[in-house]
Amino acid sequence: MAESTTPVTNSKVKWGVAVDLKRCTGCQGCTIACKLENGTPPGVFWTRVIEKEEGTFPLAYKVFMPIRCNHCSDAPCIPVCPSGASYRRANDNLVLIDQDKCIGCGTCVVACPYDVRFMPLSAHGYYGQTKVAFEQTAYEKWQKGTVQKCTLCVHRIDKGLEPACVETCPTKALVFGDLNDSDSQIAKLIRERPHFQPSAELGTDPCLYYLT
Amino acid sequence: MIERFTAEQSAQREWAWLLALYLFLGSLGGCLFLLVRLFGLPPSFAVASIGLVVLGGIVVLIKLGSPQRAWRAMSRPTTSWISRGVLCVAGFIVFGCLSVAPSIAALAWLPWNDGTALGIAFAWVAALFALLTTIYPGFVVSSARAISFWNTPLLPLLFFGYAGLAATGAVLIGSSSVPGGVARVVPWTEALIVVNAALSAIYLLVMKRTGGSARESVHRLNQGSLGAVYWIGVVLVGLILPLAALLWLTTAAVLAGACIQIGALLFRYCVLRAGVYYAPATLTPVGMDFSTLTRTSADFAHEYAGMAGNSAPGRR
Repeated sequence: MAESTTPVTNSKVKWGVAVDLKRCTGCQGCTIACKLENGTPPGVFWTRVIEKEEGTFPLAYKVFMPIRCNHCSDAPCIPVCPSGASYRRANDNLVLIDQDKCIGCGTCVVACPYDVRFMPLSAHGYYGQTKVAFEQTAYEKWQKGTVQKCTLCVHRIDKGLEPACVETCPTKALVFGDLNDSDSQIAKLIRERPHFQPSAELGTDPCLYYLT
Repeated sequence: MIERFTAEQSAQREWAWLLALYLFLGSLGGCLFLLVRLFGLPPSFAVASIGLVVLGGIVVLIKLGSPQRAWRAMSRPTTSWISRGVLCVAGFIVFGCLSVAPSIAALAWLPWNDGTALGIAFAWVAALFALLTTIYPGFVVSSARAISFWNTPLLPLLFFGYAGLAATGAVLIGSSSVPGGVARVVPWTEALIVVNAALSAIYLLVMKRTGGSARESVHRLNQGSLGAVYWIGVVLVGLILPLAALLWLTTAAVLAGACIQIGALLFRYCVLRAGVYYAPATLTPVGMDFSTLTRTSADFAHEYAGMAGNSAPGRR
């Protein structure tokens, strides 16, 4: 697998996610779908929906914002990694972690502005030291003491499927697609709808667009 | 865990005591080696400086999630300050040992010493690596652009200042083994205390005026348990007490040195723990634009007019 540490420039495919904030109801369906698909350990949420209160009484309201690894075009987590475990897949823009190389220093966890990298130090499951059958199978994928994060369900993408969180969203608030393909649904939405990228001022160019 | 589901600003959780101890020991050891050369201190101080750096290495191994792969940390010196640091520390330990070895009686047979060209070369290379070992921890922390409290050129300067202060403090602790006493080191220590206090004040002021998460970091450094650690541990014990002891109680040099070590360690801990991330998501500076919703601002205002009237001050 070809690897890269440099920002995305001319890769053919650039996967991204658009989140329609008007559709998201904060049901956490994506959170659970991710847990089931990837079998992440307790306390680890590769994707989650955060709540944000906006406005003031009487015009106060609550906004739900699903967040996950944004697979940034200029990801700050990659250059700081001392072991080369964090890398960008060359044929698309996916930021991935090679667990066999990760030393668990936590530098990338601190470097990520979106707080979406995790380093579970315990091998316990949700029910203590005894893991249930699902956990026994799912946790085999994760090495204790290494960092993990959303892969945008790379195993599903490689099979031509959408990420589990996108597929499960009951209100279709999540839209997944190729940002470089001007005919894709996500590219059209970004063209047509008002939007913003999270913490864009940091220059990370996240492949996540919130449609407002 | 719940804070990860809100849009409140949160501090990083990954780096705490162990990393603070590692940063403290590494920079203290590197700077102490430089002071040995600068003040002509006995070789025992150089041996101690190498020992401190090695101890720091052991601490960071304990902190690593997968210490069995620690050697991989040297893989990316072109982009990663951790990689650069590991190479500097390795170079310092190797050349520091080569430089100090002839001063140990059992190794006096070695074909180089401080008078030979090879011995001088080892000493200079070791001093260069010691300098790099001293300054790189500040860059490790300040390179994190996700945390604006750290992401400033002032931080490496401050870390370097505290490394110098801790090293002079270490000399004060070992003053009994310095022939002729440590009279030359005391003015340096006093000056470094004043410089670090001034730098810290400037740093906190700049960060407060920066706003956003940096301002929140300063706020956290001034309240709660972290505030108590900072003001009592770093400022009172680490700066004011040693300065007072050195100025008015000259026999308390060892106590002053010990206080400085406590303050220098707690300073790093406080800076790490006060590192607040950018807010995970910001909509717009004034909130969502209601005009993009089906119901407009005017609709909302009309709908809630009665409620707002009921809650207005003075209404019954």
